[in-house]
Amino acid sequence: MPSATLIGQSVLSGVFIGALYGLLGLGLSLSWGMLRQVNLAHFALAFLGGYLTFQLAGRLDPFVTLAVTVPLFFLAGMALHWFLSRYAADMLNTLLVTFGLTTIIESAIQRIWTADFQRMESAYGAMRWKVGAFYIPFPEAATLLIAMALCGAMWALLRFTDFGRAARAMTEDPAMAAAFGVNEKRLGYVISGLAAAFAAVAGMCLALTHTLAPVQIYAWMGVVFAGVMIGGLGSAIGPLAAGILIGVSEALTMALTAPTWAPLVSFTLLIAIILLRPARF
Amino acid sequence: MRAAGGFVLFGLALGAIPFLGLPAFYETFLYLLLHAVVLATSWNILSGYSGYFSFGHGAFFGTGVYVTAALVAQYDWHFLATLPLAAGAAAALGLALGAVVFRVRALRGELFALLTLAITFVLATIMLNKVDGGPGIQVMTDIPRLAPTASGALYLLMLAIALLALWSARAVFYSRFGTGLFAIHDDEDVAEVMGVPTYRFKLAAFCLSCALAGLAGGIHAVFVSYVTVAETFSIALAVNVVLMSALGGTRHWLGPAIGAIVITALLYGFTAGEAPVLGRALVGVILIAVIVLMPEGILGKLLTPSPRKRRARTNSGTEPELRSGNERAPSPNSEPMLVARGVSKSFKGVQALVEASFEVRRGEILGLVGPNGSGKSTFINVVSGHYLADGGSLLFEGEELLGRPAHRIARAGIARTYQVPRPFAHLSVLDNVALPPMFGRVTMDRASAEAEAWRWLEFTGLAGKAHARPAELNLHQRKFLELARALASRPKLLFLDEVLSGLTPTEMDEAIRLVRAIREQGATIVFVEHVMRAVMELTDRVVVLTYGRPIAAGLPRDVMRDPQVIDAYLGGRMREEGSIYA
Amino acid sequence: MLEVRNLRVSYGAAPAVVDASLDMEAGGLAVVVGPNGAGKTTLINAIAGLHPAEAGTLRIAGASLIGMAAHRYCDHGIALVPEGRRLFSGLTVRENLELGSYRREARARRAESLAEVCGIFPVLKERLDAAAGVLSGGQQQMLAIGRALMARPQLLLLDEPSLGLAPAIVLELFRVIRAVNAAGVAVLLVEQNVAAALDIARRAYVLEEGRIVAAGEPRELAAQPHIRRAYLGLH
Repeated sequence: MPSATLIGQSVLSGVFIGALYGLLGLGLSLSWGMLRQVNLAHFALAFLGGYLTFQLAGRLDPFVTLAVTVPLFFLAGMALHWFLSRYAADMLNTLLVTFGLTTIIESAIQRIWTADFQRMESAYGAMRWKVGAFYIPFPEAATLLIAMALCGAMWALLRFTDFGRAARAMTEDPAMAAAFGVNEKRLGYVISGLAAAFAAVAGMCLALTHTLAPVQIYAWMGVVFAGVMIGGLGSAIGPLAAGILIGVSEALTMALTAPTWAPLVSFTLLIAIILLRPARF
Repeated sequence: MRAAGGFVLFGLALGAIPFLGLPAFYETFLYLLLHAVVLATSWNILSGYSGYFSFGHGAFFGTGVYVTAALVAQYDWHFLATLPLAAGAAAALGLALGAVVFRVRALRGELFALLTLAITFVLATIMLNKVDGGPGIQVMTDIPRLAPTASGALYLLMLAIALLALWSARAVFYSRFGTGLFAIHDDEDVAEVMGVPTYRFKLAAFCLSCALAGLAGGIHAVFVSYVTVAETFSIALAVNVVLMSALGGTRHWLGPAIGAIVITALLYGFTAGEAPVLGRALVGVILIAVIVLMPEGILGKLLTPSPRKRRARTNSGTEPELRSGNERAPSPNSEPMLVARGVSKSFKGVQALVEASFEVRRGEILGLVGPNGSGKSTFINVVSGHYLADGGSLLFEGEELLGRPAHRIARAGIARTYQVPRPFAHLSVLDNVALPPMFGRVTMDRASAEAEAWRWLEFTGLAGKAHARPAELNLHQRKFLELARALASRPKLLFLDEVLSGLTPTEMDEAIRLVRAIREQGATIVFVEHVMRAVMELTDRVVVLTYGRPIAAGLPRDVMRDPQVIDAYLGGRMREEGSIYA
Repeated sequence: MLEVRNLRVSYGAAPAVVDASLDMEAGGLAVVVGPNGAGKTTLINAIAGLHPAEAGTLRIAGASLIGMAAHRYCDHGIALVPEGRRLFSGLTVRENLELGSYRREARARRAESLAEVCGIFPVLKERLDAAAGVLSGGQQQMLAIGRALMARPQLLLLDEPSLGLAPAIVLELFRVIRAVNAAGVAVLLVEQNVAAALDIARRAYVLEEGRIVAAGEPRELAAQPHIRRAYLGLH
């Protein structure tokens, strides 16, 4: 039986990884919940963002690279939305097209940065604090703060602004929302752009905290999907809460049994929620 | 049978290849080609035909791989003996999964895809921890000497399975089972109401699909000789089979095979060359291009909308019959055929039917009328089995209908049309009408069903459009298609749901004439309608529903003068005006 | 103010409204009656922009609306209270009202509009933070009307507001509609409940199988055979 400290540290690392799950899930939740597009390419985009951060990190501070990646990805998100609305009429087609896109992006990444593991070197990598018996590494803590800030900001946007109300109304009844002046097309572009921009930020956090490899793209899909579905489609805070729940469960599973059992947690939760509450989707 | 001969010849031709003394490279390539053909074809039997896109085909393939690997490496079995178990285990897994998942109505489309994807990962994790242990399993075994080389022998085994898979896919495609699956693809609820046992069919297709994948897995374990979880349960396999089938055409038994050949050749061409990464990117581009440009796949584009061979049929010349045992003119004292007692149904607090009690008498045309939201369509949906009533009883010729699955209600002899026509979009008009006779009260084989369909197309005047798709018909023709489809199963009791709405006056007259002709054949009809002049002309009796409750029943002219009925339609004040009464 | 001429609206291959013509002056109160399936909802949805009309004339205050994007209709002063209410059940009462005033001109006067609507419907004021989905049928109808009023329309379109409501509530509803009209908003009402509709309107139209078959003063229309035949099939 592991020590209390080890368990505590595990829970802490579970929270940190869960925050990243939530950050990755934010964009997915928005495009799936509000635009009814299951964007599998979201993960590839995030990794692309991570690799771009890695590339630029030699000359710029990783956080500053966001000034480049975020606007770029916002535009990319809008372009993707245009393509999907034009050519991929239903959900299943969107799934297939975005999977094709994933393959293309993944191949491009492998071509440029090779299939080897890449680790971004930055001053932040070594920074960490000690609080009591626990270690808090800076990159992970930064990720947690960023995740909380972005999800919180998005939640506030949806809750308190006209844009947010319009988006929520549009999700529920696009025709009636239009009757009151909501421009579905324009909102679609903005939401899609935001989702991609969030992917850029998630990518930076990925680069900050993990080693990058193209094959890793698929490893995150399942667990983030689980987080989004459990947290609620279209929700901003839900995926974060669910992500942390999953992260902590996985960490505890790893500490108490073996690391190779960890994937079971998220996928079993995913299966359970699909079977028990299919009407939610 | 020409087809069997074709398969044998084809099999012999391909089977000769290992004896030609080609370099091992070719045998390996051909093996992989056949391997892809098996996986894509088996996937298509459930997912392509019925529309339940599975992203978990890798799980069943992987099950087969690991059953063989474990039995050979850990228990020293002879590898051929493990194959039935590999297939069986995969099929059992599919059965267990399907038994649960196919019961849940809301679990279709992308949810089913995600669920099956998740299953793959769960299975992979379990295999990794419980069976594999991490480093993988070495599968060393004797390969039967079927060919000069080991790879040649494995090629022949995979060839046999490929022929089996193609034969099965073809057999299903041309069978009643296949027609049912295609109907499920287009509109599962309607298929169920027309008599297709949807749950059973989906389960059967799933098991067959899984068994074939498991079989391929068993052989593949020996082919690779070193089995790891990461390679076996990779997501690439799951998506590749989808891509291959989508490329070749999911609506034809040969489509997946064509797609498999194209994709495998492409990938192999690139892997053998210098740019495997480029190859994968190209596969992604192809996937997108296929979805955008060729949603129906290569075969879909090449073949006409009716890919199955059609015998040219002209009209049969005989009058269609419905004879359900009564040819006397109906009188108000006819015996009751359908008795509703206290039937209730509510949705999220809205009471659609409240203790509805009335009867339908044999041989009559009963008008079911009432203001908007009065429960008329809900009643039809409850009788046909679309909805489960909350309470009450519904006796049809003495047997309780409530609680029976919709396809059994269809078997009992009840048919209905839909207010907004719901034809099977990808089936031709003829196939639409030929489906109910295969699954309804009188189950016929394909040939007789088609003959029956022709008769009803004649009856409704649609014979000229038999090979068209429903989308090519105008509203009037689509309504008549609904009618023909409902009649084709020779029902005892027919529900017509607003069959006249949206028609021009001339079309309406034609429809009224048709309804009369149907009754003359001996069917009992319940006629839900808003066009009051039609109700007055056609019906023997009328039942008025308001707020889910019947408030009047009797002869049309009497009922429509009933003060309660006038209140319900026009509101209280109008009655006081006095001008409404004649 | 509202000019509709020979309007034709179809759902795919099915023509739902074949030839509809009507007029409304500013501040008027007109009613369209007709049996189920006649095309009343299609007609009003076409005027509101929910479903595009394919032929004919549709003008409000001189501007032609045919072919305009759906989200632009409300800029011309049209607000819809649709059949079945179609509230945004995931939003609160307040949020539904706020969304009603989404268009720019209405947004500027949001606080003022909200106060007015709460004055007309005190019950909404009490339940501002409740989710729209939990209100009773009558309250939901009030909210739907309130939401439309928040857009500060010149023309209020109501599609079968009495559907599914108890008679007492219907009475109250029509009192409110009369009051709103008295304040200067033109009202076009589509109703299956002939009695209530003819009671309130200054002008009435009868829609039967997609065509306007009669028009005139409510009292006149009640005496004519059109309504009787259309609804009851009696000659």
